[in-house]
Amino acid sequence: MFKLIRLEWKKNRIGKDIRNALILLFCLGFFVYAVEFFGITDEDPEANSIGISAFIELLANMSYIVFCGAMLASYIVKAYKNKTMNLMFSYPVKRQKILLSQMLAVWIFNFAALVLTKLAIYGVILIGSRHKGYTYSIDFHMGDSGFYISLFAGSAVMVSICFAALLAGLMIRSSKAVIIASVLLMFVTQGSIGSLTLSDNGGFFAILLLVSAVCVALCLGTVEKKDVL
Amino acid sequence: MSILVQTNDLTKTIGGKELVCDVNLHLKKGEIYGFLGPNGAGKTTVMKMITNLWKPTKGTIELFGETLEKDSYEVLKRMRSIIEFPVFYEHMSGRENLQLHCEYLGYYEKGCVENALEMLSLSDAADKPVKKYSLGMKQRLGIAREVLSRPELLILDEPTNGLDPSGMKQIRDLFKMLCKEYGITMMISTHILSEIEGIADTVGVINRGRLKEEISMKEIRERNLSYIELSVKNTKKAAYILTEGLGLDNFRIMDERNIRIYEAGAAVGEITKALAVQGAEIDFIGKKTETLEDYFLKITREEDEKCLN
Repeated sequence: MFKLIRLEWKKNRIGKDIRNALILLFCLGFFVYAVEFFGITDEDPEANSIGISAFIELLANMSYIVFCGAMLASYIVKAYKNKTMNLMFSYPVKRQKILLSQMLAVWIFNFAALVLTKLAIYGVILIGSRHKGYTYSIDFHMGDSGFYISLFAGSAVMVSICFAALLAGLMIRSSKAVIIASVLLMFVTQGSIGSLTLSDNGGFFAILLLVSAVCVALCLGTVEKKDVL
Repeated sequence: MSILVQTNDLTKTIGGKELVCDVNLHLKKGEIYGFLGPNGAGKTTVMKMITNLWKPTKGTIELFGETLEKDSYEVLKRMRSIIEFPVFYEHMSGRENLQLHCEYLGYYEKGCVENALEMLSLSDAADKPVKKYSLGMKQRLGIAREVLSRPELLILDEPTNGLDPSGMKQIRDLFKMLCKEYGITMMISTHILSEIEGIADTVGVINRGRLKEEISMKEIRERNLSYIELSVKNTKKAAYILTEGLGLDNFRIMDERNIRIYEAGAAVGEITKALAVQGAEIDFIGKKTETLEDYFLKITREEDEKCLN
């Protein structure tokens, strides 16, 4: 399986994705740094009860839901559209294994990139907070194991729920559909109307995870029987 | 010769439309099988089912003596195919595409990529991205990719599309060499009948989703079916003279000017004389031998006429 994942990265130019992830990291890092230390918001540091971690999580998760959707579109839906999937299905490898390797290639990359992005931003903010005054309170402890458990679990959940968008794209063979579905997921999971938000609702995320699991199961379950058009 | 591929009542229906129906074809080991048919006849559909890309609605496929199931993957090691057109990772070079192919197949014979590129005269362009290749070069790269692992069975759908005449000749020679020297069995679909005529051992003619005939080229040549081609100003009058005056009934009016007389005992001199006496103007008359193209047209036309009636 690892060989198949490695080949997926190779043929989909993982270098380009790494470069894009680094650009995203730089942009997010710079923005969060500016918000926290340059005071570009109107927030009052004294009166502010919100921590910076919520802001970091929000931005990183929002960005990676779309990033992951774009990668799913490029690795899987595009492969069906440009018929390279026909070539893949002509190899003596189980179709489910091929499709799973493509999904894992996207999942592993996005999970790793999201974790590293968050870690890098948290690290920069922590270092900056020792030398500068800040807007939002520093509400995380990088020396605490709970911080890492939460970071890893949260990132895994966020990347996993993106796979709900894949089924939409595969059903109508449209890369745009995956990206639009990802953007919708981003708004639903990270957005808020007034004080109403679902971003901290564990039950909602559990349902989304279940939906994603069903979508992945449907994609994998039908691939062996389906005609490759 | 043993049978390598056999289909039994192979049928494919999509959305209530029957694409192919009860196709029973037989591919012998070591032969080149020409799969002929007009556009939309069902050639690609049959090939897609043999390569397991499409699943039959009815019927079975036997490959290498085993019935093809939806999860038959072992047989895919022994066969390669190009269906419709070869696809590549366009941003990668020709060499990288071939190396990637080897990795997926688990085929690591030293020098196989270079040999395949050389065989198809692509060594100079090997490091260029495929997106910069011409259609003919892509077609050759596709063939290079599929032959590099020396499969037992090669299924090629219109493999000479986009090739210039010299490229076609090169590919034709390559197919003959692969079949003769490496024992690769090939199934080649094409609409350019002259392309297949020189290399095929057997041809299968499919029309309107049904396999009309399967016949060896040897048999076609042995039949050596000759006919008299007659070109006249008035085919109705000429047909009347042939029937009433000469008692011939085995002929076919091809179009407004041409008649083909298949009657074994018919003589050119006798027909010319009879037509001249009756005042039917002749533009041309001469003996001809049926080519694969004629044979193909005869079969498909018969079917089309039946459908129209």
